[in-house]
Amino acid sequence: MIEDAQGVTVTKTGEQGAFGGELLTVNFGPHHPSTHGVLRLIVDLDGEQIRRIKPIIGYLHTGIEKQMEALRWQQGVVVTDRHDYLSPPINNLAYALAVEKLMGVDVPQRAQALRVIMSELTRLSSHLVWLGTSGIELGAMSVLMYCFRERDTILDMNEEISGFRMHTSYIRPGGVMADATPRFLELLDTFIRDMPGHIDEYEDLLTMNPIFRARTIGIGQLPLADAKVLGATGPMLRGSGMAWDLRKSMPYSGYENYDFEVATSKDCDCYGRYLVRIKEMREAVKILRQALDRLPDGPVNVDDRKFLPPPREELETSMEAVIHHFKLFTEGYSVPAGDVYVAVESGRGENGCYIVSDGTHKPRRVKFRAASFANLQALERMSLNHMVADMIAIIGTADTVLGDVDR
Amino acid sequence: MIAEGAGGIPPLLTEIVIDRGVSAGDHWITVPAERIHDALLSLKDEGYRLLVFLSCVDHLADSSRDFPARFEIIYQLRDLDKPADIRVRAFVGGESPRIDSVHDLFPPANWDERETYDLFGIVFTGHPDLSRILMPDDWVGHPLRRDYPVGGEPVEFSEEHEMWQTAPEDA
Amino acid sequence: MGVEELVASLGDNILTTSLGKLIGWGRGNSVWPAQFGLACCAIEMISTATAGVDIARFGSEAMRASPRQSDLLIVSGRVSQKMAPVLRTVYDQMPEPKWVISMGACASTGGVFNNYALLQGVDKIVPVDVYIPGCPPRPEDLLNALMILQERIKAQGLIPQS
Repeated sequence: MIEDAQGVTVTKTGEQGAFGGELLTVNFGPHHPSTHGVLRLIVDLDGEQIRRIKPIIGYLHTGIEKQMEALRWQQGVVVTDRHDYLSPPINNLAYALAVEKLMGVDVPQRAQALRVIMSELTRLSSHLVWLGTSGIELGAMSVLMYCFRERDTILDMNEEISGFRMHTSYIRPGGVMADATPRFLELLDTFIRDMPGHIDEYEDLLTMNPIFRARTIGIGQLPLADAKVLGATGPMLRGSGMAWDLRKSMPYSGYENYDFEVATSKDCDCYGRYLVRIKEMREAVKILRQALDRLPDGPVNVDDRKFLPPPREELETSMEAVIHHFKLFTEGYSVPAGDVYVAVESGRGENGCYIVSDGTHKPRRVKFRAASFANLQALERMSLNHMVADMIAIIGTADTVLGDVDR
Repeated sequence: MIAEGAGGIPPLLTEIVIDRGVSAGDHWITVPAERIHDALLSLKDEGYRLLVFLSCVDHLADSSRDFPARFEIIYQLRDLDKPADIRVRAFVGGESPRIDSVHDLFPPANWDERETYDLFGIVFTGHPDLSRILMPDDWVGHPLRRDYPVGGEPVEFSEEHEMWQTAPEDA
Repeated sequence: MGVEELVASLGDNILTTSLGKLIGWGRGNSVWPAQFGLACCAIEMISTATAGVDIARFGSEAMRASPRQSDLLIVSGRVSQKMAPVLRTVYDQMPEPKWVISMGACASTGGVFNNYALLQGVDKIVPVDVYIPGCPPRPEDLLNALMILQERIKAQGLIPQS
């Protein structure tokens, strides 16, 4: 047995398996129903047991970071939606906070509250996709149907407030795209009332289900020391016992004003992470209720004409407004030279945006710190000596989004 | 946050650090590229045990500030107990830029360094498996360098654009 | 191929056209897609399969994992340079008759991303029957495309042109 750099014990391929034969190398993917996207795994098997896993990524590399260097600062928001495609507003939030930090502006209170509302709705919709797809991979097909029913409600709300179901580009540097309509607030209110009952439904289906428990308890162990060393964040870290949540530890956008708990589990296995995510869904509903009740009045955008365009009515009367509008939509605003890193908590963990500006109207470099990129490196540690069927459960529990990994 | 002279910066580090500052609230230090391993080991002993990310910035034709070399390798470290972040910069340049790998200190650096090699061409000496990770294995060039074109296709507009406004005859 | 010549030699009489209609109806109403979900559009494709929109009532309940058991390839999402040979291999593994729906802006033309990393449209490597614009398209758009494809399949009769 040898240890590799990560301190993980692996066997060298070609070594004898437990029953005397050689290890079998199998290729999974990239076109595979259960790998949550285009992930390719090369697995060395000793019978049914996994001795070594090597993930090969890059099948969804989109050149997002290069694309953003070719777009202006305000155009870049559209592209940020698409790297972690299950939580677009949270990606937008990381980028918007970074640009605002470099520009030195603070958004109004109402915009912060709306940002929190959109982030929590997105967290819910992302966990619903995770629950639905993990469920169907473990054989629980009805969970998929129930989860996507709620997700459709959330997407209807997205559409009401921004016009888009998924890639809203709602949160932009300077504030948000538009104010919440009365219908949005009604839909949100109904949703908050109904959602805890729906989460109870999912728990009824899965939490005490003997098949689900047998397939997830004890599977995919990630001890806390390993999770910290491997750089895992989000439910992967919280499922191993550490109460690290960026919303509490390094708060942003007004999260320090909301009362919620950080979900943790000492189990370190797939079942523990499932419980963590269910609890996170309940806490998200709590935050939504507080945000909706305390939604302050006021503007939703920074009042700076050199940063954000004037409202269209002003264009009819003011020459200065026309000039600002023209400058902003042809050349765009310039961000002062410097660099900044802002991290936000997405459904997967720490999603961060590092931007470098050289003082012009296009970024010099935009780097996305992807939660799934780091979490995927923990896959090998979690799946050693498990069966092939467990590997499916483990990939599901890691909740990787390949768009985030490959960017 | 790392405080100057208040026991924040370990002694080994004070003699290595060439420059330090604060950018939009983020603390950063610059170290020589040859001493990067010592610098990160020093910070790790000090408590900054999580490597948040590792990346590179290409400062080709950047007239906003003065840079010692073309490529800036950045390491963002975090101390989970305080909590506090610090950014470490190292500048490399030349025809084939090289810097020591830190995968033995921080395992997350394994894939980050492969990605930086793939997209920028920085060679990390001592890395166990420095191969392309995002681009196909036979790709030529390093896409995120500033002298590499964005690529893609020119967008063509059809001269019969007006005819497309009506629905086509057969779907 | 032997079958086509035989059918062509029979000509268009009442027997072959009725049989053609029957086969076209059967083929069109049971188009089985191969799962080729790549990125964001894949999530909307999953939404199409769920109860709210329900692609199953159009006959496409069975989203097969194996391309050898499917008729339709719904390319949903952006195709990168590394993924392009894989897409072509999967397409080649599908038995005739087969059709391709290119779902979303990225699959149709490269979408938002006009850069080195993406194939600017999958029609560069596979022949596409229906293009769906949108980023991502609504689940109802995917159903619309499926209905357009079904009309086309039913109209083609005995020997379909892929």
